[in-house]
Amino acid sequence: MIIDRRRSLETCTESGWDAEDLLTDTEIDDEFVHKLKRLEGSLIYMKALKKPFFKLEYHDYVIKGIKGDLFFRMAYHKDSKYKVDEAIERLNGE
Amino acid sequence: MIYLNNAATSYPKPDIVINSINNALNALPSGQFRSGGILSDDDLFSECRKKLGLVLGIKDADRIFFSSGSTEGLNQILFGLGFRADEYMTTATEHNSVLRPLFNMGSGEPVIISCDENGIVSPENIRKSLNQNIKALVINHCSNVTGAVQDMEEIGRIAKEYGLRLILDCSQSAGCMEIRIDDWNVSACAFTGHKSLMGVQGTGGFYVKKGIELKPLTYGGTGRDSRVIKYEGAYEYETGTRNAPGIAGLASALDFLLETGIDIIEKKERELTEFFVSEIKSIPGVRIYGEEIEKRGPVVSVGISGVKPSDAAYILQNGYGIVTRAGLQCAPLIHKYIGSGEDGVLRLSFSYFTSKEELEAAIDGIKDIAMSAEG
Repeated sequence: MIIDRRRSLETCTESGWDAEDLLTDTEIDDEFVHKLKRLEGSLIYMKALKKPFFKLEYHDYVIKGIKGDLFFRMAYHKDSKYKVDEAIERLNGE
Repeated sequence: MIYLNNAATSYPKPDIVINSINNALNALPSGQFRSGGILSDDDLFSECRKKLGLVLGIKDADRIFFSSGSTEGLNQILFGLGFRADEYMTTATEHNSVLRPLFNMGSGEPVIISCDENGIVSPENIRKSLNQNIKALVINHCSNVTGAVQDMEEIGRIAKEYGLRLILDCSQSAGCMEIRIDDWNVSACAFTGHKSLMGVQGTGGFYVKKGIELKPLTYGGTGRDSRVIKYEGAYEYETGTRNAPGIAGLASALDFLLETGIDIIEKKERELTEFFVSEIKSIPGVRIYGEEIEKRGPVVSVGISGVKPSDAAYILQNGYGIVTRAGLQCAPLIHKYIGSGEDGVLRLSFSYFTSKEELEAAIDGIKDIAMSAEG
């Protein structure tokens, strides 16, 4: 479950996008990655890595993170900040 | 955490730098008059200028001025010379600290010289691109993207032959390789303290050859000639209260570099870079931008097939504890020539303090990412 959000220290400033880190109450697992399919976009999941990496990409936002971390990053076009609220709502929903 | 982003800001700093800044902050700030053994700012700055002169190959060290870094130094030089933007010639390898001042000067656009796929600017290309309108050539000594080091001997000869002002951006080269400003016919150069010079952010400066006067970017108190308000001719370029603790740190960093030896530092970093390049180029799906570079600074940019540079950097940092940098590297024009595209590159940059073990960890990480992307 996503419990908090904070402006990312590493924003996508070169592309003109902004980014937030979304904090989770438990370590990100396969089930959480599977839940990302609730959102629009193409999902990449590099499971073979020492720490598996996932990315969901849509035209005005990108979600990326590492399995086992307590946060993931959501970068978004400056006009699409509301997509973060939508993502939290969808991912926290049953 | 393994830090391989030294081309942005070097880390760690030598202990002597940290101690020097700490001492400067704990000492009584210098006053207008010398007294009681306190080193005045003038003494400190003068000593630092002399050391910079040794590192940069400048005999006339009192023509070195402090600024907040290369960006401010370059702005002072480029705007201060008073040329129109279309009287400048520059290269596709430049950082935005050169491109943005020139493209926002409001007097046309500079001539841009292309580079090859390694980031090398051919001196012959410079000759061919010259026209009668060009008064100055601005060039990056060492690319912050591919690490390519330009042939300053030959470029300096061209500048002399055609009577051009030669302006050199030493941001990536100062402190990690030999620089000979006087020998290369350089009219002005800019450097920053926080990269290979091992100082801290907010330090740096510029040099301008004797006889060349720049219109100052800033006016203000200098501690001298306070009754004079309007200046007609030459002026001082260091206005306001300078960053004395930062310059104290920079002076100590220069001591470290000079005592260690720039040649020793260059040799160690070259060995690290060659080792890294030789290992990386054998990994399927990984491309080095500028693989054929003969003389390279401690910077290597790579692309991994099927993985965006920003994703590779994210994986390395959050999955492997390795800090790199992804993207255009604030050098937007070079990517068209080196073939890196709109997402830029994954850049890894080293310092004297980087170890071979740290590079091996980065190589393993990149190998994992490339294999995972292929699978």
